[in-house]
Amino acid sequence: MQPTEGLRDEIGTNYADGSFAFDEPSPASFARRAAVVVAAWLLPGAGHLLLGRYGRAALFFITITGAFVLGMSLEGRLFWPTVAEPPSTFHFDLITILWFFAQIGSGLCYLVSYALGFGTAPHPEAATFEYGNTFMFLAGLLNYLVVHDAFDIAAGRKR
Amino acid sequence: MHVLMMSLYAAIAAVVLAAVDPKSDTTRQRLVHGLKIFGSFLGIGLLLSWVLFPVPW
Repeated sequence: MQPTEGLRDEIGTNYADGSFAFDEPSPASFARRAAVVVAAWLLPGAGHLLLGRYGRAALFFITITGAFVLGMSLEGRLFWPTVAEPPSTFHFDLITILWFFAQIGSGLCYLVSYALGFGTAPHPEAATFEYGNTFMFLAGLLNYLVVHDAFDIAAGRKR
Repeated sequence: MHVLMMSLYAAIAAVVLAAVDPKSDTTRQRLVHGLKIFGSFLGIGLLLSWVLFPVPW
């Protein structure tokens, strides 16, 4: 048994004299926070990459981009706001706005696909059409969470 | 096909939701949390499909 005489509480002593400091996260500047948010939205995982969270960055890139590509390969389509038919008090068809909001969350995945014409010609006759749409919605909505997480880390609220 | 798609959906959602969980500090906590989410997705999905199976519309 080790004698307790002569021993002292190292943590308590060091904490009292200020030499022991907890590694508290510090908030980044506004410009850096904005850059992180934009990068995180454009490319899933890029925000965490800028913050040095390489593991999580790779995880988010693989899962979210994978979900979008899977959705596209299952004959999913891209949605954008369309004019309501027949005309209603609200100019646009509300459901297409919600679907567009869900998909645009995946950033460049949506924008590049749209620019290249992938998913712009819907194939509702395909057996996997709805599966594909659902995975593309999932990708965008999860990326909104990832953007929020990246902002929290940049703001010093989270490690 | 349905179960495979549901499992894939649950797996992707569980991975991301566990990784952004603010209450999990260690990898082990995130893993446990992710497994709970994955299990919940599958369990609730199967339960709903079983309950709704007799519904004719």
